[in-house]
Amino acid sequence: MTEASNTTFGVALALYLVAMVGYLHHFAYRRPTPLTLARVVAYLALASHTVSVVLRGVAAGRVPWGNMYEYASVVGLAVVALYLVVAERRVEARRLGGFVLGATVLIMAASTMVYVEPGPLIPALNSGWLRIHVLAAILASALFTLGFVFTLLYLIQERRERRVERAVAERPAPAMASVGSGLPHDLEVESDPEEGRATVTLGPEQGNGHGGMPEGPTRRGRLPGAAALDDLAAKAITFAFPIWTFAVIAGAIWAEQAWGRYWGWDPKEVWSFVTWVLFAGYLHARATQGWRGRRAAVLAVLGFAALAFNLTVVNLVVSGLHSYAGV
Amino acid sequence: MATGTFSRGMLSVWRSLRSMRTALILLLLLGLGSVVGSLVPQAPNSPARVAELFAERPLLARIYDALGFFDVYGSWWFTLLYVLLLISLAACLIPRTRGLIRGLGSRWQPARDLEALRHYASGSVEGSPEEAVGRARRALRRRGWGVRSGGETALAAEKGLAREVGSLAFHWAFFLLLLGVVYGKGFGFTGQATVIEGDVFTEAHASYDFPPREGRFFGERHQGFQVRVLDFEVAYREGGLPRDFVSRVEVVEEGEVIRADEIRVNDPLEHLGVKLYQSGYGWAPVVEVRHEGELLVSDPLVFVTDDPNDPVRPWRGAIKLPGISPQVGLELQLLPDAAAFVAGMPMLEADDPFLAYRAYRGDLRLTEAQSVFRLEKELLEEYESGGLALGETVELPGGLEVTFRDVRQYTQLLVKRDPGIGLMLATALLVLVGLVPALYSSRRRIWVRAVPEDGGTRLEIGGFALQRKAAFDEEFDRLVRDLVPRGRVRVP
Repeated sequence: MTEASNTTFGVALALYLVAMVGYLHHFAYRRPTPLTLARVVAYLALASHTVSVVLRGVAAGRVPWGNMYEYASVVGLAVVALYLVVAERRVEARRLGGFVLGATVLIMAASTMVYVEPGPLIPALNSGWLRIHVLAAILASALFTLGFVFTLLYLIQERRERRVERAVAERPAPAMASVGSGLPHDLEVESDPEEGRATVTLGPEQGNGHGGMPEGPTRRGRLPGAAALDDLAAKAITFAFPIWTFAVIAGAIWAEQAWGRYWGWDPKEVWSFVTWVLFAGYLHARATQGWRGRRAAVLAVLGFAALAFNLTVVNLVVSGLHSYAGV
Repeated sequence: MATGTFSRGMLSVWRSLRSMRTALILLLLLGLGSVVGSLVPQAPNSPARVAELFAERPLLARIYDALGFFDVYGSWWFTLLYVLLLISLAACLIPRTRGLIRGLGSRWQPARDLEALRHYASGSVEGSPEEAVGRARRALRRRGWGVRSGGETALAAEKGLAREVGSLAFHWAFFLLLLGVVYGKGFGFTGQATVIEGDVFTEAHASYDFPPREGRFFGERHQGFQVRVLDFEVAYREGGLPRDFVSRVEVVEEGEVIRADEIRVNDPLEHLGVKLYQSGYGWAPVVEVRHEGELLVSDPLVFVTDDPNDPVRPWRGAIKLPGISPQVGLELQLLPDAAAFVAGMPMLEADDPFLAYRAYRGDLRLTEAQSVFRLEKELLEEYESGGLALGETVELPGGLEVTFRDVRQYTQLLVKRDPGIGLMLATALLVLVGLVPALYSSRRRIWVRAVPEDGGTRLEIGGFALQRKAAFDEEFDRLVRDLVPRGRVRVP
């Protein structure tokens, strides 16, 4: 059973890599076939991954999220599932599958470094709250991971757009026809039917920049507009925040039952509080003039950093009551 | 003059406390402070590591100490941030709540200039203006809008009030949550009790292992009931991992057994608002020591282990006999299961236990603070060592007779009273309940005005959304199609 779980895990990881390449090809060249193939492979990988997680649960005789390896594996599963099922309903998100799967592959590869054989839990973990508290934490972590990927891409795209805006502002705007030669060589301007307005973006280094734009597909390697990326990130994080809040509250209720206090500033608690505070800051910043955009995005990145720190460093290095959840 | 400056200063402090941004910054600072607490060893939890830091890096340790980093959550600055956050939150929320309540009671002013709103459309409908507005009112109510009349021929409607209500509920709940922590700590206590099987623990200040941590307003309200530990048991899985820890107890009040119960991990016992949690366990051998026939020691002795997760390790304890001359100390090690120990297996049950001893004589140095589980050996010399099986007696030089009489287990209970628990649970639920509409619903308003025209009525509709503006584009279009089935005019 354990072996089958590990095999399907490996298959899923390999297929995620293949799908990632397909998505990246689509991102670079905007051809529809690689996208279709990538999506099919991603769904197959997801199926294999699901089988792996289920078998793991059967082998251990409990929910399959009782240690760090299992936790990370299920977070990876949730990232992909949420991306494929929820995020991809937005057309512009389909260009981003390569980045999402890249994050998943990283999470899964890292999880193999803390692999342990399936086994029973220590008494303190043996509670119905394990199902609910950890599952909520997993879901929220997966959504925060999606939000993080979108936020990073947003920051890249926002910077590009600002540079272009500056470039445009410095020169008197030329007519559309001559834009190609009027801007720095790696910039392009085009109208985007998806967003219904003209956007200015940075293209990849194309040709050698001798005069006008080279022939060929002009929409290569294009990220969706910064506004769309910001919106995607905000959707993911707004979705995650109440779930994270619930996970923290469920954890507090469980801690009261198991350890006799709902909050004890245990390192795990501290960092989940910090994560909560940073994302609360993000949500407020987005509603505040002068803070939305880049500043808010920085808070989201910090929030994700706190989340990742909590899963890795706090589990493996800092000692606390959650230490047994380590490996 | 000075008071003027002072009050102006206070006023500006108050003003900045009233801004949500200040509350957020205070919250972020609180988070930052707690990060310090998670990275620097905390004296209340791990005094040994604090002492280590003082020994290894005295300068850094002194700086940390001066900044309160060794007890962040009890430091003056953490408390200050906490209090300021509470004040700031209240200062933000009171005006917002007042605004909401006032808004609920008042009639809305129909907007004067509908065309200036973000969304505007107009079109012709049948019937008189009054009829048209009546139809519009019914249609809007059907769609869940809160409608208010602005006379016979105009109305205003709002949807998504849940956002503001939810947001306020969330923020007030968070405020009460922060307050509940203080309340529970202030009126509660936490203590630890080590009780050997067969013994009775009384819920009173003096019977805890260390003085219990009592809240400032706790008073002396210990309940005085008694808990008799009948039996402690660890259930193991195959392979020696513990599956469950159970203390079987009786609650005794004024000599009468009130109830019998079990205390397990994840399943505490609650009595008179006091909760008892299973938090530890260990072995307690019964050793009798006689000196020239006189019984000096006969109670069970609590033994400890250096690593509770290592079931192969012997348990250790000490007996100190300051009353004889020269003073004698016995350093003891208990193997609950000698055969398992020899085989390198975990010692799970008391099965053929073995007690190893080393006898020392000299000066125990009892005038200095020391652990009851250890001897201070500087002025002691070892003069005898050996081991005892259960029931065996050994005679040591100097007229000492040591008998290994029995092995029992002890249970360690965390005893706690927190009267804030109910409040905490309620506010935590309110946090969640408020959060969902606060994040997912959006406030939007529309105004409808009917103007008579040839053969019918011209309906003008304007509106805007405060959040999710893109989604409102579609909703507004659908609404207009509903209210004005034909002849729509859109003004961009």
